[in-house]
Amino acid sequence: MPKNQIIAMILAGGQGSRLGVLTKNLAKPAVPFGSRYRIVDFTLSNCSNSGIETVGVLTQYQPLDLNTYIGNGQPWDLDRLYGGAFILPPYQKSRGSDWYKGTANAIYQNTQFVDNYEPKYVLILSGDHIYKMNYANMLKSHIDSNADATIAVIEVPWQEASRFGIMNTNKESYITEFDEKPQDPKSNLASMGVYIFTWKTLKKKLEEDEAEPSSSHDFGKDIIPSLLKDRRKLLAYHFSGYWKDVGTIESLWEANMDILDKPEDINLTDSSWRIYSRNPVKPAHYIGKGATVHNSCLTDGCVVEGCVEHSVIFNSVVVEKGAFVKDSILMPGSIIRKGAYLNKVIAGPEVVVGKNAKIGFTCFGESPYINTKICTNDITVIERGVTIKDNVEIPCNSMVENRDDIPESKSVIDNSSERKES
Amino acid sequence: MFINAMGLILADTSTSQMRELTKPRALAAVPFAGRYRIIDFMLSSLVNSGVISVGVLTSNKYKSLMDHLGNGAAWDLSRKNKGLYILPPFVNTESYGQTGDVDGLSGVLDFFRMNTFKYVIVGGGNVIFNTTFNDIVAVHEGSGADVSIMYNRDTAYLDENSLILDMDDNGWVESIYLNPVGRISDCVSLNVFIIKRELLIELIQQAISRGDRDMTLEGLLRRNNKLHMRGYEFSGSCLRINSVHSYFAATMRLLKDDVRKELFMNENRIFTKVKDEAPSLYSSDCEVSDSLISDGCRIYGNVEGSMLFRSVTVSPGAKLRNCIIMQNVHISEGCVLENVIIDKNSILRPGIKLIGQPNYPVLIGKGSVV
Repeated sequence: MPKNQIIAMILAGGQGSRLGVLTKNLAKPAVPFGSRYRIVDFTLSNCSNSGIETVGVLTQYQPLDLNTYIGNGQPWDLDRLYGGAFILPPYQKSRGSDWYKGTANAIYQNTQFVDNYEPKYVLILSGDHIYKMNYANMLKSHIDSNADATIAVIEVPWQEASRFGIMNTNKESYITEFDEKPQDPKSNLASMGVYIFTWKTLKKKLEEDEAEPSSSHDFGKDIIPSLLKDRRKLLAYHFSGYWKDVGTIESLWEANMDILDKPEDINLTDSSWRIYSRNPVKPAHYIGKGATVHNSCLTDGCVVEGCVEHSVIFNSVVVEKGAFVKDSILMPGSIIRKGAYLNKVIAGPEVVVGKNAKIGFTCFGESPYINTKICTNDITVIERGVTIKDNVEIPCNSMVENRDDIPESKSVIDNSSERKES
Repeated sequence: MFINAMGLILADTSTSQMRELTKPRALAAVPFAGRYRIIDFMLSSLVNSGVISVGVLTSNKYKSLMDHLGNGAAWDLSRKNKGLYILPPFVNTESYGQTGDVDGLSGVLDFFRMNTFKYVIVGGGNVIFNTTFNDIVAVHEGSGADVSIMYNRDTAYLDENSLILDMDDNGWVESIYLNPVGRISDCVSLNVFIIKRELLIELIQQAISRGDRDMTLEGLLRRNNKLHMRGYEFSGSCLRINSVHSYFAATMRLLKDDVRKELFMNENRIFTKVKDEAPSLYSSDCEVSDSLISDGCRIYGNVEGSMLFRSVTVSPGAKLRNCIIMQNVHISEGCVLENVIIDKNSILRPGIKLIGQPNYPVLIGKGSVV
């Protein structure tokens, strides 16, 4: 691929409010995923493996962690002499400044960045999907068909089609119609949020869209329908393979469990398409005498003395003797004390669960933390850095967080400073 | 953190008893503790002390070492100014075709001359520890000694390469013995010493002009009785690797909580080349206990008291006890292994049974098919 024929822009500014406390202080793309990754690693690694050397990451909501994580792009081989990885937050301009008002507006505000590289094509990505895809093949289809835009689509089960943006296509795979979450879908081809545009066309369209006061400045809602209205050539690029949107607690949990139940689907061991991540520099993990670990994945720096069943464990997690962890996701640095019981728990980074605490043990009982809107399917979520006191019981579908307005929290959450000492 | 010192690591020890482990690689490049190579410990300790200029001296079989070190980025030694220098042997007019460390050292005179640091921290490629050298450099500076040698009092695994220090009551070294007959003292050198850069240059030049052949740097110090040398006791955890036996024993000691904690749960981290393996996957009926497991492993069988490096597959029905299995080894169904070391990229066919002894483990060389 010649240099900067194409550059990628990753939309990483959304709040991801459906992930509840997991995104309280963290942008969704920076949420840990799959034992040793963060969600954005998949998109960044896809870029790098596809030979794309310039990647702009558009951040807005809680960007600090994400900025530090991406840094100079070195873990993804994106520290290039010409190009590389760039964090693109909204900035002040001589005439008025603004937050990113929508996905299309975010690209519009960075027109100058794109123009600097004079690319012929621009790849627009979202930083919150788990998949492996060679964008170079997609670009080839785009060039061969002489399209103005190419949209990656994936076949979804018909009964779920009404949850997605659905592309209706003709025989030659050109898009004739776009339905956002249709009641009666005419096709089951869902947009994956992966677009290649011919930059000239897109730039013009973004300028038009910006001048339109009624527009919400969104690719799905405004730009694509408007291009269709102009009778532009929009190609559907068929993708088959693992693809998962991890926008909700339930889908995040499922996608993590897919690594255990269907490891061949996403196939993280494929050395020809590595998923890269920033490494925590920890030693091999230790499984103690009398510990049992089944159907789980673990990574560097963990120490397991208790029992771990069907769980995804991140780096530096400690599971003490007599603790039992099942169907759970324990993010970096969590500590599960002796005798604690966890069922279907997503513990954020550096969570401490006290001795003999029971979380998700029962779905009955009352708790001020129950939040069935976000925590569906019996999953319990614990906010980053929260220490659960010894012997506490928390029913499933709870979202445990540090909140001053919950009077019971004093008996559940330990805010003393020595909480990390055992 | 500022330290007025540079580092030099001697990656080879021609006299080590590592059998097939050092057949394809230098001693310092021998894989250790799952995701590391022996050199990572000395290199990280230097970096954690604030050293930003490190030379790695190697005489042969350095391909694997160079693959591992690359440009030094993993140790934060990829720098515009200073950084990591791999110093393979090269023949120049000063070397007169000699062999041994001094021959190699003649080639590194340039490396010493272009740096302006006051001291050189010289380390062998066979010690496993996690420390910083700021204290020893400060003590050395105040002591007025020419050389300060790090030692500890761990005499458990002495062999023919062990240097024993004979010191007086004030910590001055009276003489150094190589694997002495009878007991001199329990002070065993860690093969790490501090010396003024200019003095080291002088010593090397002297050795070259005398035409000393096949001489190690330890020898350089031993034969020079004009040097004032002091011992510096290191009281932390330290593992020495000189033989297959000590390699095996050191790995088994890692399974013990205190040694592992001191080496790895330290505020100073041991850096190594990152491989971006997938997380390790445990099956529904595997049995794993008292073991250290690296990333990228697939475990279906039984693993007890063992060390698995990256991307090892343990098939259903395989039983491992007290084993060291290096990167990318495939262990097939029904294999029974006890006290076995298997080097990288090897394959064990189904049903193979190998039983070694703790003091003489079975060693399978790199890339073998058994």
